[in-house]
Amino acid sequence: MPINRRDFLKTAGAGLGGLALVDSPIAQLEVQAKQVEANSQASMLYDATKCVGCRACQVACKSRSNLPPVTDPERIWERPLDLSADTWTLIKLYDGEEGTSFVKANCMHCVEPACASVCPVAALEKTEAGPVVYHAERCIGCRYCMAACPFGIPKAQWYSNAPKIQKCDFCADRLAGGERPACADACPTGAINFGSRQEMLDVAHSRVADTERYVGTVYGEHEAGGTDVLYIAGVNPHLLGLPELDERSLPSIDWPYMKAVPWVVGIVGAFLTATYFYTHRNEGKEVHDGH
Amino acid sequence: MAIKLGDIRLRRYKVGPGMIFIWIVGALGLAVAAWRWVVGLGPTTNLSDHRGWGIWISFDMMAGIGLAAGAFTLAAVVYIFNLKKFYPLVRPTILTGFISYILAALTLLADLGFPLRIWHLMIYGNIHSPLFEIGWCVMLYLGVLLLEFSPIVFEALHWKVPLKIIHGIEIPLMIAGITLSTLHQSTLGTMLTILPYRIHPLWYTPLLPVFYYISAIAAGLGMVVFESYNSARTYGYRFELKLLSSLTKAVPWLLGLYLVLKIGDLVVSGDYVYLLKGDLASVLYIIEIMGGVVVPMLMFADPKTRNTSNGIIWAAFYVMGGLIMNRINSALTFFHGALYLPAWSEIAVSVGLTCLGIIMFDAAVRFLPMFPEPTAEVSEK
Amino acid sequence: MAIQTHTETDAQVSSMLSRRDFLAFCSLMAGALALPKSSEELISQALTSPSRVPVVWLELQDCAGCSEAFLRASAPTAAEVVLDILSVDYHETIMAASGKRAEEAKEATIAAGGYLLVVEGSVSLDEDKGYCCIGGKSSVQLLQEAAKNALAVVAVGNCASFGGLPKANPNPTNAVGVMDLIKDKPVLNIPGCPMNPVNLTATVVHFLTFGALPEMDALHRPMFAFGHLIHDNCERRGHFAAGEFVREWGDEGHRLGYCLYKMGCKGPMTYHNCPSVRFNEGTNWPIGAGHPCIGCSEPGFWDLETYKPIELAKFTPPEQYPGIVPPDREITPLGAAITGGTLGVVVGAAGAFAYDMMTRQAGNEQKAEDAKLGPEEHGDHK
Repeated sequence: MPINRRDFLKTAGAGLGGLALVDSPIAQLEVQAKQVEANSQASMLYDATKCVGCRACQVACKSRSNLPPVTDPERIWERPLDLSADTWTLIKLYDGEEGTSFVKANCMHCVEPACASVCPVAALEKTEAGPVVYHAERCIGCRYCMAACPFGIPKAQWYSNAPKIQKCDFCADRLAGGERPACADACPTGAINFGSRQEMLDVAHSRVADTERYVGTVYGEHEAGGTDVLYIAGVNPHLLGLPELDERSLPSIDWPYMKAVPWVVGIVGAFLTATYFYTHRNEGKEVHDGH
Repeated sequence: MAIKLGDIRLRRYKVGPGMIFIWIVGALGLAVAAWRWVVGLGPTTNLSDHRGWGIWISFDMMAGIGLAAGAFTLAAVVYIFNLKKFYPLVRPTILTGFISYILAALTLLADLGFPLRIWHLMIYGNIHSPLFEIGWCVMLYLGVLLLEFSPIVFEALHWKVPLKIIHGIEIPLMIAGITLSTLHQSTLGTMLTILPYRIHPLWYTPLLPVFYYISAIAAGLGMVVFESYNSARTYGYRFELKLLSSLTKAVPWLLGLYLVLKIGDLVVSGDYVYLLKGDLASVLYIIEIMGGVVVPMLMFADPKTRNTSNGIIWAAFYVMGGLIMNRINSALTFFHGALYLPAWSEIAVSVGLTCLGIIMFDAAVRFLPMFPEPTAEVSEK
Repeated sequence: MAIQTHTETDAQVSSMLSRRDFLAFCSLMAGALALPKSSEELISQALTSPSRVPVVWLELQDCAGCSEAFLRASAPTAAEVVLDILSVDYHETIMAASGKRAEEAKEATIAAGGYLLVVEGSVSLDEDKGYCCIGGKSSVQLLQEAAKNALAVVAVGNCASFGGLPKANPNPTNAVGVMDLIKDKPVLNIPGCPMNPVNLTATVVHFLTFGALPEMDALHRPMFAFGHLIHDNCERRGHFAAGEFVREWGDEGHRLGYCLYKMGCKGPMTYHNCPSVRFNEGTNWPIGAGHPCIGCSEPGFWDLETYKPIELAKFTPPEQYPGIVPPDREITPLGAAITGGTLGVVVGAAGAFAYDMMTRQAGNEQKAEDAKLGPEEHGDHK
């Protein structure tokens, strides 16, 4: 059917054209510039081999962010079983065949975050300093960010009829004042290190060189285009709930399609207009003849 | 009525028990939606942090918008490609489209965490977001549909000047409508391309926008058939079998292209291995392809089937069912793992909204000159 | 004229305290007051100063338990040291004098001023009902008169601090604590039922060393003793974190010394230093003995249900950690049934509609259709 083959080709062509733009030399330079900028952003390195599971970071986070307690059903302990709207960081334990390790779960503050890219009202924003922050007043509650995050970080306040999206904000206000995040300040063993992404990468690389103590490489260096929160551990990071992701940043997947939108409008509009005039080319004449 | 507004009169069709049932269910659905607005999404849905989208997004939004594609397809066929014989199908299809998009907007009001902030799309924007583009396209397209639908109302009211104005801008309106529809029907697929780790590999492909677009056109034509058959049966209007048979000649080509692309994509990407697993995903995929693509393709291709009312309506059911299955499979069932069980209240709101759509259609038929040639003799039921 | 309260035996005993024991006492006091080691010197100087501070010890609506606690010290030298430095000029239970002579001694001390007023027992505000009448005066009058020229007021025990047992529901005597009545003098509360004598001793030492009362909390309790929750210093806290609770008196957990939270322990809401200093010169304390804390240093504790667990105000993590994969949301059989049933109804209705649509009017409609189309097109349908 003519309509559809052409439209298909147009869409695919526009999309492919968009892809071509990404791979051009100019685009490569752009990517490199972005990388340098990313490496100057605020970053946190979590060294699982130094974590003793004291959960001072968890308690400090709740305190600084004024989060309500998440308890067991009998309301005896603070016992969140997973991140939620009221728990922005959590120490989990892996105790299995490959060994034992704690892991600190929280927002990865990706270099190119999927959540900020898909939010239709730009309620999630990747700030220049590094943190991915949430503007509650903009949010419409569509939950696309929850679907898009490959780490499953944004959480909703399901108990409310005005459900905000909540996640670690890297203590953006503290960072702006020259302080460190609350969790980094609370950590007694130095498992949580804070600095620029370049500094943290350097520290991480020098540590993982000790292959007796560490397994794998620095998680977050390349995953999903790189994250500002980096992990090194004594067991395979994928056992700690850190998903296996390739190096593509997620926004780079659908940006070519979105870039093609003006092209589609132009091409489809032009095609339809031309077709209209072509199929109605005899009508003016007929009417004319009829008179 | 004390004031006679033009030709607005109540065409008295019998209200059967079915319609009464629909009114009751619609009212119940609305009541449940009101409850959801008061208590929030937690108690009224089975949604969770693990799975933030349920049947309202995958069925009411995605499948609903997909099925409404008949409006722009028919507009292109009649007004751009100048196939005037299909004109009798235009009005009810525009109405169906208009109602479908209103229902999509109402579904958003039910699903959004902050429904009253839906207008934020107009003051805050993010061109990287497919949802931003969809939101604007749907908003603008609703306006286009409203304008496309207005001539029917103006006719009933005998308002000649507005009628002339609309006729004047009719073609640009149609072009705008078709362009907007192309955009948002395909972007519904683009929405899922940023979720490579959540969508099952059998459904995830960079060609998602293309697949969503083609399947929407095919199923949209199926919806046109369904709507015509339903009107014929309920209101005694002529079932335009001949026209529909001619129109749906295009469907096997569309579905054939769709099938080739899908199979080709599975082979090229290597994802066909998931079909060999024999798990729930592979079973549902095969059912979707066979029942939703192959069967209707063959049915619509066969003139003998296409020219009987039974045959064509069954074929339409299959192709529409295929689209619904496809949207639910890609965006719900295999979204990051386990099966999703919607809560009764989610189902109630979904069903209630559908009933609302039927009620709106019924009201339009009763008050407006929807069908150019109503047949009096078949109206007794 | 101060009346000697020490017997000769006492004087002998006190003079038998070696310098080393005395310094050890000063060190103990420094520890109790949470003062640095350097304070020991200060304390020893203050305690060996020749001047003696007079004390008037009032007993109002009391049981004399706090006095008894103070006097029941098994190492008498500790209390004795303090009593050596203080001149306890009036104490109904222990003073040698009685009757009018006792009252004269009190009035003389009050008139002279510069004394420490210690109050034990609550005050009854219903003076006309005569609930606490001593020597023809009401407790309100006695307190107000005694507080007139005092340097400071120390309310010992929960009764003097917050009203204690007499104030418990229904509070028949309209009892209140000292600080509800005395507003113009510094009032320090040392609650407890009875108070821990170590705390009074340490307070007095602080007063003598620094000339001021120690830092107090919002309820006028000295921070060194009442600055931490029992829960935060409890030796059984590990059992709390591990979820090891006593569930019945005498069960396995009780024998093993498990946490008493579920038996009604008020430790999480009670500020007191019992876990560290204990009672009877560090012998034991209620939780150590296997009985839940009753919260005796908190206002109104008598109105709490002793054996009913309280709601916690602060939450800390348990000993266990969440696993990497969070638990699945349960699909309850009921939930599945409801969803399945609803879907069944919907599908059934849709199916019925579809069936009806296909069969009911197909005949009529087909005939009408055929009639309209005319003979030449009829063939299509065959």
